[in-house]
This record gives sequence, C-alpha cells and structure tokens, in this order.
Amino acid sequence: MLRPFADWLDKTPLSQALQNHLWIIPTSQSIHIVAVSVLFASACVINLRLLGVGRGGRSVSTLSATLVPWMWRALAVLLCTGAIQIIAEPVRQFVTPAFWAKMTMIVIVATMTYLYARSLRRNAPLWDTPATRPASAKFFAVISTLLWLGIIACGRFIGYTWSFYA
Amino acid sequence: MSLAPLLATIKGWPISAAVRGDLPGTEWLFPIIETLHVIALATVLGTIVMVDLRLLGIASRESAVSQLSREILPWTWTAWCAAAVFGTLMFMSNATAYAGNLQFRLKFVCMGLAALNMLSFHFGPYRRVALWDSGEPPPSAKLAGALSLALWIGVVFFGRWTGFTMT
Repeated sequence: MLRPFADWLDKTPLSQALQNHLWIIPTSQSIHIVAVSVLFASACVINLRLLGVGRGGRSVSTLSATLVPWMWRALAVLLCTGAIQIIAEPVRQFVTPAFWAKMTMIVIVATMTYLYARSLRRNAPLWDTPATRPASAKFFAVISTLLWLGIIACGRFIGYTWSFYA
Repeated sequence: MSLAPLLATIKGWPISAAVRGDLPGTEWLFPIIETLHVIALATVLGTIVMVDLRLLGIASRESAVSQLSREILPWTWTAWCAAAVFGTLMFMSNATAYAGNLQFRLKFVCMGLAALNMLSFHFGPYRRVALWDSGEPPPSAKLAGALSLALWIGVVFFGRWTGFTMT
C-alpha cells in the first residue's frame, strides 16, 4: 500500500520539480542537519544536567526554559526539511525500515520532551533540587539521549540501506 | 613538491582500505564512522549555536557569556576532536579524491575562517568581557557571533555537498 503511494508521489509535479533541481536535496539535508544539531545538543545539555554530569551553572528549570523553546523551533525546521526530502524521494523513505524507526523515535522523544517540559514548568523547585527531583528524571535523560542517537543513526542509514528494499 | 604521492600512499594503507570497506568484514565501517562523525558534528554545531546566539543577544540572556562559555565549550572541543578523528578516517579512505574535491576544500576554508574569527574574538572583545558579561554584547561581539554562526553552517553545507560530489 505504501509503495504505490510512494510511486504516485514520486510522479507528482511537485516531487518532479524538487528532483529536477539538483541543489534542493543537499541544501534541505544541510538545513536538516543544522536543525537536528540544535535539538541534539540542547537535549544533551539538559539530560547531562538531569544526570548530574558537568559543572554547576544554570538550574534545570532555567536551562529548560531557555533551551526547550529553541528545540520546538528546531523541530519545526526539522519536520519541514524532512517533508521536502520525503516529497522529493518518497520511494527511498517509505520502503526503508530505518525511516519508520526514525519516525517512531521522533514521535516518542517529542512526546517525552513535551511531558517533561510541562511537568518542569509546574514543579520547577521540585526539579531544581537533586534530592527532590522525580526518580523518573534520570530515566527520561537516558532514554531521550538514546532516542536522539538512534534518530541520527537511522537518518544516516536511510541513505545506506534504502536500495535493499526498493 | 606535489602531495599526490603522499595522498596515494595514505589511501593505500590497510586502515584506509578497511574504512573504504575493501577488506572482508568492513563493508559497514564507512557508514558507521560517518554516523559517529554526524553525532560529533551535531554536538559541535549545536553547542556553538548556543554560544553564538548568546553573543547575538538572542538566547540564554539569563547566563553571563563567560559562564555559558565555561559550561558549554568543553563539550564543543571534546566533540570537535571526535569529529576530527572520524573525519580523518573518512579522508584517508579516499585521500586523493577528497583532497581534489572543491566542496571539501571550501569546507576547510570555512573552518579556517571560523578559527580566525574565534581568535580575533578571544583576543578582541572577549578581553573586556567583564564590561558586558551579563548584559548586551557590544557590536564587535555580535559580529563575531554572526560570523561564527554563518561559517559553521557553511562547514555543514560544504560537508554535506562533499558527499554528493564524490565519485
């Protein structure tokens, strides 16, 4: 069912237009990398703080209040450039397990981050003191970091594995 | 003196052949190294963006510039070293072609300019950081932040383009 859809999308004028301009895909991928860099580094800085790694400095709530809004902006850029890449090369994306793994992980990590940020906004003092921080904080930090690593790895591996499935 | 024989020698080393996937069992080595390179560069770029946006006065204004730098830049340098190691391995796998690739060269022009920009910032406006540490950075610091942002995005662009132009 996905394959016919991918083939149809591939033949649409919009997809053809994107494919016919050789600079579009590398440019979109470059912007995509910049966006994922902002997301990954922000997530790592917050997660390391939750794990108690690194030098003092800002509290968890201050850090998150600064970084989380930039993470949502970067996620919007990530999804827009990702959509361009899907429309330009639909077969390559839809047939590849690495693509679906990446989509699953991005939904999970975005949901987790939203719930984390909401809980933090409501209980900032609780989160800022390591002694009273919910036990789930470290679990969140480890899982979120692993998911971002997985997302980047799957993103890179779409390009190396799609030809096995097409 | 021509570099061509040296580049050919590097390409001929067994480790270069392994990264290229030419030795038995190394077929997936290049994609794995490239993935590690991307993870490292994402850390480099993401942390540099945080500091640059602070220099521009756009983000992290609750932090003093010197404090933010101490907090963030050790990770930038660590990740940069990792990216350099993985990048060198990829370069060795096809040294002759990378050395002659225009996009690859432009990537290093951008990185060289970013280094000069960093030095001129460090020995320029940053020497008087105490005067503006917690407030609005002076125009010279903002310029350094804007240049850094543009040059590092250039590094990513030319790095990604290199992959599309290597034959």
